Amino acid sequence: MMRYARLYLQFLKFSFSRALEYRMDFWFRIVMDCLFYAVELVFFTILYQHTNMIGGWDYDQVLIFVSGYLVIDAIHMTVFSNNMWWLPIYVNKGDLDYYIVRPVSSLFFLSLRDFAANSFLNLLIAGGILAWSILRYPGELGTENLIWFLFLMLNGSFIFYVLQMLFQIPVFWTHTNRGLLTAFFSANKLMERPDKIYSKWTRRILMTVFPALLVIALPARVLFDGPDPLLITHILGVTTIAFLGMRAFWNLGLRSYSSASS
Amino acid sequence: MSLSLFFHIVDLETKKLMSYRVDFWITMVVNLVVNLVILWALWTAIFAESGSEIIGGWDLPGILSYGVMVFLTGRIVRGGDLQMTVATDIYEGALSRFLLYPRHYAFTKYAQQVGNVVPDLFQSVLMGLVALPLLGLSTTTPITPLTVAMSIPTILVAHLLFFLMGLIPQYIAFWADNVWSLSVMVRFVTMLLGGAMLPLSLFPDSVQQILHWLPFAYLFEFPTLVILGKVDFSQWLTGIGTCLLWCLALGVLSIPVWRRGDLRYTGVGI
Repeated sequence: MMRYARLYLQFLKFSFSRALEYRMDFWFRIVMDCLFYAVELVFFTILYQHTNMIGGWDYDQVLIFVSGYLVIDAIHMTVFSNNMWWLPIYVNKGDLDYYIVRPVSSLFFLSLRDFAANSFLNLLIAGGILAWSILRYPGELGTENLIWFLFLMLNGSFIFYVLQMLFQIPVFWTHTNRGLLTAFFSANKLMERPDKIYSKWTRRILMTVFPALLVIALPARVLFDGPDPLLITHILGVTTIAFLGMRAFWNLGLRSYSSASS
Repeated sequence: MSLSLFFHIVDLETKKLMSYRVDFWITMVVNLVVNLVILWALWTAIFAESGSEIIGGWDLPGILSYGVMVFLTGRIVRGGDLQMTVATDIYEGALSRFLLYPRHYAFTKYAQQVGNVVPDLFQSVLMGLVALPLLGLSTTTPITPLTVAMSIPTILVAHLLFFLMGLIPQYIAFWADNVWSLSVMVRFVTMLLGGAMLPLSLFPDSVQQILHWLPFAYLFEFPTLVILGKVDFSQWLTGIGTCLLWCLALGVLSIPVWRRGDLRYTGVGI
């Protein structure tokens, strides 16, 4: 475990020094993410000019929900996104060889190697927006609810990563996974809306088959309605199954990998 | 640029994209399903919870039709994802090849962009055939052969406007290593202020007045309103004319940026 922690520290050092080489891109990316946050917040602000509730949530609750999503997106952009970008390229060019022969888990190495230092600043900004939305909330949010919310949000970031990996791994068999990735980013929109707007069957699908609602909508429910043991067990159970499934799928992919142009 | 050469480039780009057929169908099906699910779920919830029958001048069937049509026309206007190729050509030095061509670089890129539209156009027509009967056509947004005919030149001009709007941020690649984030910023802004996420009539009045003087509405909202029969003939002519003026302005603006960038270009890649 300590070996992995030391390795991750090296990844961080290397990523920060590399990010500062391209300073204009560094700032462009920060502005880009801030613009994304603004667009998301403005979208819901305009909708709430015409209604008081969406999916059973008022404006103050939706602000926390959206801010939570922004934090998860920022965590994904900071920790996983660059690595996800490189994975298909490594597989197609045969560069994966360098990673699977190392004495550490290839899944760990390839998922966490590239830490996006510029997005880390955005993570702080998104965290600030979340703190602001929680502090301005007029109702009472219990400490226990808040702790569960933050824990389930971290769990949501992990599910986000697992889901993207499930759409990335087919690149071991297909020439390109561009279509699958476009489909994944398109399906992401499902997690950016309150869960109660969906019909019963759509919710069931989005809580199990493609567990998009587990990313932020259900953690936000726990924050507002209190920790329901059944719901929390469901969230953690689905996360575990999805991760084990993804790891098995990854190992299957590695077995099919035959170096360059596989 | 001769028309035959232009259409030859269009044909090449279309064939290139269509060679990945699995991607083509996966993208289409998932995009359609996700957008329909969200559109229907969000707006039925808003109309039910607000208790209003009209929001921002739209009834529920009308706003659903708007959502479907802005999604379908928006796909054509955005015309694939060719935007980054300009910056990549500059960054990797591949621009040198295009500088030897007898035609201006921007024209060649536009022909490629049009080639990218053909699969999107095919997908949009197919998706429209599936989606509109599912949602039911609204009585307040009559789609007729005339509105469809009027929408064709509107979408073509909007497509040109979108291309030109993305060109200047791409030319920044002459000075910066990576301008991917600039392109994404243009996309965020145009999607929100162009009416792709929400009809602009839902924005506060003061913002609507400002947006009236900007080019964004001509990208997504205007072509959608035309196809939904919300624009009369004189408004349509004025809209097309204004959109062309914006194209001219952006085209003229891009010339000095290109010239200065071209002087800096070393042709060896960065």
